[in-house]
Amino acid sequence: MSRFPGLGAARAGVARWVRPGAAATLAVLVVAALFPLAEGRSQSVMGLATLALTYGLVTLSLNLLMGYGGQVSVGHGGFLAVGAYTTAIVATHFTSLPFIVVLLLAGVVTGAVGFLLGLPAGRLRSHYLAVATLGFGLAMPQIALNLGITGGFTGLVTPTAAVGRFTLNSPVPLYYLALIVLAVSAVAIRSILSSPTGRRFMAVRDSEHTAPAMGINPWRTKVLLFTLSAFFCGLAGYVFAFYIGVVEPASFDFALSLFFFAAVVVGGMASIWGSLIGAALLVVVQQESLSAQAYSETILGVAVIIVLLLGPGGLAAVPRRVSGAASRARARRLEAAAEATSPHQSPAPSSAGTPREG
Amino acid sequence: MTVFVQLVVSALGFGGIYALAALGLTIIFKTSNVVNFAYGAMATVVAMLVWTAHASLGLPTALAWAVGIIGGGAMGIAVDLGLMRRVEGSPPLVSIVMTIGLLLAVEGLTGVIWGYGPKGIANVVGGRSFAIGPISVDRNDLFVAALAVVVAVALHLFYERTRLGLAVRAVAADAEVASLMGVSRKWVLAGSWAAGVAVAGAAATLAAPSLGLTPTLMDDAAVFAFAAAVLGGLGSLIGAVVGGFAVGILSDLVAGYISTNLQLTVVFALIVVVLYLRPQGLFGRAAQVRQ
Repeated sequence: MSRFPGLGAARAGVARWVRPGAAATLAVLVVAALFPLAEGRSQSVMGLATLALTYGLVTLSLNLLMGYGGQVSVGHGGFLAVGAYTTAIVATHFTSLPFIVVLLLAGVVTGAVGFLLGLPAGRLRSHYLAVATLGFGLAMPQIALNLGITGGFTGLVTPTAAVGRFTLNSPVPLYYLALIVLAVSAVAIRSILSSPTGRRFMAVRDSEHTAPAMGINPWRTKVLLFTLSAFFCGLAGYVFAFYIGVVEPASFDFALSLFFFAAVVVGGMASIWGSLIGAALLVVVQQESLSAQAYSETILGVAVIIVLLLGPGGLAAVPRRVSGAASRARARRLEAAAEATSPHQSPAPSSAGTPREG
Repeated sequence: MTVFVQLVVSALGFGGIYALAALGLTIIFKTSNVVNFAYGAMATVVAMLVWTAHASLGLPTALAWAVGIIGGGAMGIAVDLGLMRRVEGSPPLVSIVMTIGLLLAVEGLTGVIWGYGPKGIANVVGGRSFAIGPISVDRNDLFVAALAVVVAVALHLFYERTRLGLAVRAVAADAEVASLMGVSRKWVLAGSWAAGVAVAGAAATLAAPSLGLTPTLMDDAAVFAFAAAVLGGLGSLIGAVVGGFAVGILSDLVAGYISTNLQLTVVFALIVVVLYLRPQGLFGRAAQVRQ
């Protein structure tokens, strides 16, 4: 693997989130699991927390595609729609199916749509890909509007469903389901990223020209990437269907896809925690400016621009940047103190989190 | 047959609007190689400026248009110099993310400033439609279609017949050599952004009477214009015009024969098919658009 320097940097970027974060991850999980004990009585707080977890999974699935795979999607709202509609349709017509089957069906059907989109999209570069996914995100709600099985304009009421004796149509059980689905998906995505498959994604991201030299087929890799990203987004669609209660075309407007896109960029490309932070920020911004979508759009748009101007690491890179600046300052002090008998090289900041396209 | 011809004739207006918008996209893409995803939102600002100048300040239509076009041009220059130039040389993904961030920011700010209530704005050419046999033709549609063709021809003459146009083409072909020849690359790019936003702004202002002047005025139209540019071949002037009318007619036929709610879906399918089978479009040069 050392023959491929870009890959090494990418691996280091993943390793940063894999190894030392275990304790922190556990702590966050415990806090998240205990959260309903504190706020469980407030339906609105539980709802927002569930939404943050659901958006977190969407953002994570999009980051898999963008941050780790170097591809663009401005249409992930379309995948969320497929997952949510699949859930509502299957749960309505096959009431006896256990929840796990419906959940996996939502993922598999959405994954299949991602596969179908990936076949042509895997051949497209940068802005052509953005145009195609943009069209996809707009087309999905329109198709739902025109089909009979999706209930047209009025949509579908998500039927009651239960896991054991917990009904998913009430806030606290749904919160736990969202938490578990997100946690399992995040672990799965992390293990994919540290597997040879994940390294193929990053190799294609870092250079589409050198990847084939390593025996990697970029097109196949990208089709798989789209399929996996859509699968996880479809799982989020399952939770989302119960969260919104009524699955209708208007739930998946164009702005939503742009918001997910912004959450990935602002949270930090190629960062799992960044995605979750970005999604939480998205929920807060949406909540604080419910009266006018205009403010959400302005804040998120300006945040994206600022992140790009300051460096593409996003919020997830802030600790790294601060410690990087501190170590550079320390190096400068050392340099000044020592009489500089041998020229000291200050450690260069890692560019592992920077997405690149070949 | 009458229905078919009527649908095609009715598509002239929106065909012209998509053609103009695609031209705006093309002007910027030709020189900077950036697909400006924010151009629908930026074009909407131009329409808002025209409305403010005309309805609020009481300026005559022509003067209001001048205010909008100049404002749009200034906005294009500001975006190019203030934002796009700073991420120049980054991977293409960065410029895409930048223009999408800009799309959110500009559309949001438009909502903050002008609100979401639809604003009344009149067609440039009023008057009743006239009939040719059983076919009814709208005067404003005819004007918009003619304007799109005139703008395209004017742009073509500018690029091919003037010294300045030559300078722009030189920058597009090889920026480094062009600057060795004394062409200011910086101002050619800024000028392209100004012209691109102004032309797209004209499209938005013409579309406003029928689509309703709100901050999201161009959201859907932008996708039609993307499709038009992709169909014609990104970077080709004639491609933008032919693509614009083709997309306009196609979506009108879909609305007439299938459903008014499937136009975007059909256009999306068209984008995917064109990009898959002939990524350089009808008139584009076989550039490196695939892997």
